[in-house]
Amino acid sequence: MATDLGAGPVAPAAPARPNEPVLRWRSRAHSIEEVEQELGRIWAQTNLGIDLNNDGVNDERHVGARTSVMNLVVIARRPEVGERCAAIIQKLTGRHPSRTTIVQPADPDGPSWLDAHIVAHCIMPRADSPETCAETIHLTCGGESGRHLDAVIAPLLIHDLPVTIWWPDEPPFGTPQANDLLATADRLVVDGSTWHGTGLTQLRRMAAAAQRYPIAVFDFAMVRQSRWREAIAAIFDIPDFLPYLRHIRRIAVTYGVRDEFGAESANIVKPLYHAAWIGSRLGMHVVKPLGAVTAGGPRRPTGKPSALANAGAGLGATLRLDRTDVSVVVRPVMSEMPPGTTLRVELLADWRGSELRADVTAEQEAVHVRVWQDGVHALERGFNAPRRTELDLLAEAIEAGGRDPVAVGTLALAAELAGGTAE
Amino acid sequence: MTETAVPKRRRTSGHPDSPSIAPEIAPDKTPHPAPRPKDAPRTMKDIRIARLGKRKASPKADDNPLREGLRLERIPDPNTLVLFGSTGDLAHRKVIPALYQLWRTNLLPHEFVVLAIGRRPYDDESLRKDFRESAEKYSRVLPLDEAAWRSFSSRIRYQRCDFDDPSAFDNLVTTLDAIDKEQGVHGGGRGNHLYYLATQPSAFAEIVGQLGRVGLDHEHHDGGWRRIVIEKPFGHDLISAIKLNREVGKVFRESQVYRIDHYLGKETVRNLLVFRFGNGIFEPIWNRRHIDHIQITVAESIGVENRGNFYEETGASRDFLQNHLLQLMSLVAMEPPATFDADALRDEKVKVIRAIGELSPEMIRSDVVRGQYGPGWVAAKPVKGYRQEPDVDPESETETFVAARFEVDDWRWSGVPFYLRTGKRLPKRASEIAIQFKEVPHRLFRDSSTEPDPNLLAIRIQPDEGIMLRFGAKVPGLGIDVRSVTMDFTYGSAFTVDSPDAYETLILDALLGDASLFTRADEVEGAWARVTPIIDEWMDEPEPDFPNYEAGTWGPERADELLAREGRRWRRI
Repeated sequence: MATDLGAGPVAPAAPARPNEPVLRWRSRAHSIEEVEQELGRIWAQTNLGIDLNNDGVNDERHVGARTSVMNLVVIARRPEVGERCAAIIQKLTGRHPSRTTIVQPADPDGPSWLDAHIVAHCIMPRADSPETCAETIHLTCGGESGRHLDAVIAPLLIHDLPVTIWWPDEPPFGTPQANDLLATADRLVVDGSTWHGTGLTQLRRMAAAAQRYPIAVFDFAMVRQSRWREAIAAIFDIPDFLPYLRHIRRIAVTYGVRDEFGAESANIVKPLYHAAWIGSRLGMHVVKPLGAVTAGGPRRPTGKPSALANAGAGLGATLRLDRTDVSVVVRPVMSEMPPGTTLRVELLADWRGSELRADVTAEQEAVHVRVWQDGVHALERGFNAPRRTELDLLAEAIEAGGRDPVAVGTLALAAELAGGTAE
Repeated sequence: MTETAVPKRRRTSGHPDSPSIAPEIAPDKTPHPAPRPKDAPRTMKDIRIARLGKRKASPKADDNPLREGLRLERIPDPNTLVLFGSTGDLAHRKVIPALYQLWRTNLLPHEFVVLAIGRRPYDDESLRKDFRESAEKYSRVLPLDEAAWRSFSSRIRYQRCDFDDPSAFDNLVTTLDAIDKEQGVHGGGRGNHLYYLATQPSAFAEIVGQLGRVGLDHEHHDGGWRRIVIEKPFGHDLISAIKLNREVGKVFRESQVYRIDHYLGKETVRNLLVFRFGNGIFEPIWNRRHIDHIQITVAESIGVENRGNFYEETGASRDFLQNHLLQLMSLVAMEPPATFDADALRDEKVKVIRAIGELSPEMIRSDVVRGQYGPGWVAAKPVKGYRQEPDVDPESETETFVAARFEVDDWRWSGVPFYLRTGKRLPKRASEIAIQFKEVPHRLFRDSSTEPDPNLLAIRIQPDEGIMLRFGAKVPGLGIDVRSVTMDFTYGSAFTVDSPDAYETLILDALLGDASLFTRADEVEGAWARVTPIIDEWMDEPEPDFPNYEAGTWGPERADELLAREGRRWRRI
């Protein structure tokens, strides 16, 4: 018997309300075949409606549509990560009905085993609309099977639908396990700002993977910055400021650290993406990758950005735009904000003897831009742009189609700044 | 050394070892009889190389590479939106909430001013207060964002202006000059003006004439554009539309004129183009061989509200048939444009309108049905008949419903009827386009207990924007019973981003200079050329038997007969 006692349709405590996901099905399985059988059982039901009063009348509404638009695979190394991801995905049920498989590798030693919880949530967008349902499979794999996640996941994918892998922890780029999974995926969703240390080694490995596999990389750390990018781009929408854009001489990004020791260990993926985005949009290339800043300028790179000496003074690099060098500075300052949070982006441009300085800062709900032209305050503007939640970011990751050339260029230049791609 | 370091203009395309620097003018064995200017290109190669060099030397001045990949690849230039009719209903309900929303989402330039023009005695503050009340009522996203509203409203200024007073327009020039100068402080001032006519249609010609008289139509070589947005109705028949086009054309070039039909800004209408031309599977069956007929419905459950005066002069044919319905029809029936630019799109739409067969008086009597609602029940509430509405003549002959059968006389659509209907006080508010496909040529499952309906594709425009496909499926069981099932795509449940209001889309497009979703002069005249004979014929007919449908029903019985006589029926909505 594959399923546990009481498995199957779930009677909700109260009638469904618009935009609130309702658990409609719950069962359990211990092999891939059993999981497939359970999925078949769910969708063989023409009606997941529930007879609340046990009077032979379905009090709940019919399941109107099962409209999977993608396969979403979450690799969660810890149970709490899996639960957090499941909660976020559940909120997207109505908007992006997907088959979600949350995989949690367990003890790799001993015989192979598999434990699967299968649930279906339904949501109705409005009171008068049909429900949309989607299933989630929580898989825990132990023993040998935990080392072959691609073999576990492949049979559970819905045919022809794109596969997105959300790796909320740190993906082991370059390992056979990661390589096998990436080979099956169309899109990889990560958050580079949560990686250990400076995050730069991982960033270089991810850039290498993005070159090797035809996957679209969607890094929350990069997408979170879109509000900054809108504000920075808006400066150069002003016709009189536009000519300065191709004459940028300095890009300085300041990020927060909690204490003086934080500078060496803070993740600097987000601040680095700012410089890489501007550089890649303007066609810059790397002359000198990031190295510790000394009084005289960037120190010679060691090739291991995460182990740079004197990180407290910040890191410096040199880009080249046309024939002119552009200095890049990424420096820490003490702040109450989470370590690695971008606090300020400064641009300095010099065109025909005239200087333009732009200063961009952000807070919870807005981004502020100030510009000085030849020392004279020329622009001050606030952009309403709230900081986005993980739910917003995942929704955008799912909606985004294909490879975003801007993201590709930014990641490639960021990796170059960090010392080049690494396997 | 990188390639960019070598002047491309002088590179030769020969052997790699050949000199990379070419002479300024290629040596020529046969001297030219007359010397050309020194740097004029002479050979095909010279021209090509010169062009290459030119391209390299002068990148587009207005490109902002940081915009790529952002929500908008460019945002509008700094500008002043001059809103005529700012104290009216349209400005309060639609234009200001749309502008506020664009501002709130950072889609307007920093150097942006709304110069509100009206006849009433307001000042800046009192108008802002009124606008705020309207925004609180009609804005798409509520509650208002205080900071965003403050910064937006600080850009609103009021100027009193009687449209028939020439001195008021002289003052307008002074005001706009001052605003342009102010905007120029930060380097963005280029004197771009968008004139938005949200006034009574009778004032259009006067305002346009005055703008021309004081020179506010002149575009400047240094980038100061002038555009004019004109709200519908554009004319009240063919003659008046031609006359108005002529008046507008005396002052503004066609490329400066943006005639709004807000239906074209709706998400589903725009999606119709993507649906048709962005998918490979529909276009091959989008023709007379596969489609039986097409129904387009624009139904309203409301009556004339407090617009009795306006509606008495327009009626359903002028208010909806001439514009919304014919626009939707042209989008459904048009050929694929070669590009997605405004003129390519509008050229194809015009072809459809011109291909609509002219209706003779006999055809008008048989193929066009008009109606007027009497008292009835809508949404469980009793409602008055049209003749009992305020500001409506108790003997009114104005139609509140019209249904018509048109054909498009071209290769693709020959013989396929297009049934269009619109009306007020119908059972529900719903707009949709239904493509009814032909029956299967051979009924294989004739033993089925139910006869499945032919395939149908319904494109819902409002209120529940989406697309539905109906097809036959086998009923589970031992026998072969076939039933119709539907596959439904709803915008709200597939995308997290809220659809913008049509006015947001259209105003932003006008500010960006994209006229794709606006109607061109020839489109407007073409549509009037189809509708005016109908209205004229009605004038010649005896007094209609109005009211001829109860409020809360789907129009007069004759509208059903229009389809029933051909063995069809209106789709149940």
